[in-house]
Amino acid sequence: MNAIVWAVIKREYLQRVRSKWFVIATVAGPLLLIGLIAAPILMANRGEERERTLVVVDRTGVLFPGVQPRLVEAGYAVEASPGDDAELERLTDAVRGGSIGAFLELDEATLARGHFRMRSHEAPSPVRSVLVRQAVVQTALEVRLGGDTEDVQALLTGGTLQVDVLSEGAGGFEDATFVSAYLGAFLLYMSLLFYAVAVMRSVLEEKTSRIVEVILSSMRPYELMLGKILGVGAVGLTQFALWILSAGLIFAVGAPALLAARPDFMSPETLADVLPGAGYAALFAAYFLGGYFIYSGLYAAVGATCNSDEEAQQAQMPVVMLLVVPILFVTQVIQEPEATLSIALSFVPFFTPILMFARAVVGGASALEIAASMVLMAFTILAVAWVAGRIYKVGILMAGKRPTLPEILRWVRQA
Amino acid sequence: MSDFALRLSGVTKRFGSHTAVDHLDLEVPRGSIYGLLGPNGSGKTTSIRMIMGILLPDEGRVELFGSDPDETRRRRVGYLPEERGLYRKMKVLDLLAFMGEIRGVAPTEGRRRAGDWLDRLGLQDWIDRKVEDLSKGMQQKVQFVATVLHQPELLILDEPFSGLDPINQDVLEEIVREFHRKGTTILFSTHLMDQAERLCERVCLISRARKVLDGDLKGLKRAESRGVLAVGFEGSEGWLEGPEVMAREAVGGDYHLVLADGADPQAILRRAIAAEVTIRRFELVEPRLHEIFVHHAGEAAAGDGGMPRALDGTGGVG
Repeated sequence: MNAIVWAVIKREYLQRVRSKWFVIATVAGPLLLIGLIAAPILMANRGEERERTLVVVDRTGVLFPGVQPRLVEAGYAVEASPGDDAELERLTDAVRGGSIGAFLELDEATLARGHFRMRSHEAPSPVRSVLVRQAVVQTALEVRLGGDTEDVQALLTGGTLQVDVLSEGAGGFEDATFVSAYLGAFLLYMSLLFYAVAVMRSVLEEKTSRIVEVILSSMRPYELMLGKILGVGAVGLTQFALWILSAGLIFAVGAPALLAARPDFMSPETLADVLPGAGYAALFAAYFLGGYFIYSGLYAAVGATCNSDEEAQQAQMPVVMLLVVPILFVTQVIQEPEATLSIALSFVPFFTPILMFARAVVGGASALEIAASMVLMAFTILAVAWVAGRIYKVGILMAGKRPTLPEILRWVRQA
Repeated sequence: MSDFALRLSGVTKRFGSHTAVDHLDLEVPRGSIYGLLGPNGSGKTTSIRMIMGILLPDEGRVELFGSDPDETRRRRVGYLPEERGLYRKMKVLDLLAFMGEIRGVAPTEGRRRAGDWLDRLGLQDWIDRKVEDLSKGMQQKVQFVATVLHQPELLILDEPFSGLDPINQDVLEEIVREFHRKGTTILFSTHLMDQAERLCERVCLISRARKVLDGDLKGLKRAESRGVLAVGFEGSEGWLEGPEVMAREAVGGDYHLVLADGADPQAILRRAIAAEVTIRRFELVEPRLHEIFVHHAGEAAAGDGGMPRALDGTGGVG
């Protein structure tokens, strides 16, 4: 790396990392995560004492034995009450005065169609009302169906589907994988777009401020373009590293607190399923870098052909489409990673970063396919660099009317 | 070691069917202060861009310090382009350090030099401000500092005085003279003939992509001294028109008449007497640069490119 490119990288990097937008984005990401973790904890702790003492008035005489353990499991202290009129009045006053959280009235309607009444000191959170309803309704079903409690339980929770995949090489498929593949692909799309557009704006700034002329009097256009792309890319990697670091810290501190406060919310096992591992991070980094070099090159060329932000808005549309198309197909590709269409799309050079990443995450791409996609990306990067570099070289010094497509093609041939 | 800091031979640049620079020859001796003069659109900026290697000539050759203008050689040049530009969001000192760094000045050294220059130009309180907070005049000064930070041997200034107020024009002119005294070779383009006349030792006049004439300013003036007639009079002006007069110009209450080749001043005098005007002054004078230019390129060439009159010293747009 020569000293000039290094100076350009340093400038791009420091200017961006020192900007307030970088600081905001870097802090906002983890804050959002903290919010997601803290919200259920805060909700759970809100008015805990009062809310958690539940008095059950069971007029059916058959529901209480089933309801009680379920409510206890959901974290309530449960008391039974005979439920005559004087007692109801006393309970109503107690709830009003706040000495107990709430009482439930279970009657024939509860047994018949799951309708029951809850008188509460304050409105229960949506999560809590679901928990209470489940406890009561599941018991009602259990009573009406009769039979072995555990079997009925299994029926009530929606049954289980055991899938045996008979073809080779296909791994298991879980909801968590689907979510992390989808979110990862989307994050990939967002960050590719964000950082490639940052390169375009930087090119445009140099062009419209005319500083490019001074800069190019002491370096070659390719040095400027390379330094710019590497500098902005390094900002992206820094951002990811900071996010991963703070996410790690937050989970280390926050996850135990979350589990302690809401054992019903998520078990340690399911939490581990959702957390992306090192392999996931490596795939993300590899496809981000590949995609970034492809798209930042294209965007640098777009920036060089424009003279204003408005022009750039229009001119970038074809490139944006190259990024949007894989996002349109990503759900389908994740669901059927081994369908012919999914495989074909994931080998379209401009779609590879997003779609091959998605297939790899759900385990639908073989190691050979992943390796092939890396080689394909390398060739795409070289091809884009060659074409975009030529457009950039000519366009960056052009003023006036935006060039037409035939003119741009002539630049590529002649430059 | 070449005697010329810069040499152009037969340099030509075409944009489509338009020829921007047509077989330009130019030799800038080391240590000289050289003016590249011509109206807007005559090819000055294109020539300079080819010297800086930003554009490649279609024909001809550019030599910097005796050979091709590669990057190393271009780093010995300080270039102030016609269209000024800085990174608006950068702090002044950071920007200058970067501009030095891309021309081989270590960042710490660049910061030190930039600090000295900013002190000298009265911008010491602005070094940690963003460029966009500076006034236009201050930005011009910062741009000039960026041009000289790496202590170039050759300064190429494209319209350096445009956009500056008279006070700062004087400041810049003095700095340019100082660089000249220290032995720096200076090539600057301008459409302000007065400025060139004050500063230059040598000039090259170009019009419509072609060189009209070049050489030592004093020599040019001596050779041209029969070409301009200064007249002062009371009365109507009609007699000033005639085949002998290529152009006329009001200079300090009198008129300077640029004479056609071989024109006889006596014929003009006879017309003046016939018109019954009172003559105060009637003499051949040393021509002004503008008049030399008009004499050689013609009034039309001077006019259609937006060449201002010699008295119009207020500066045009860059």
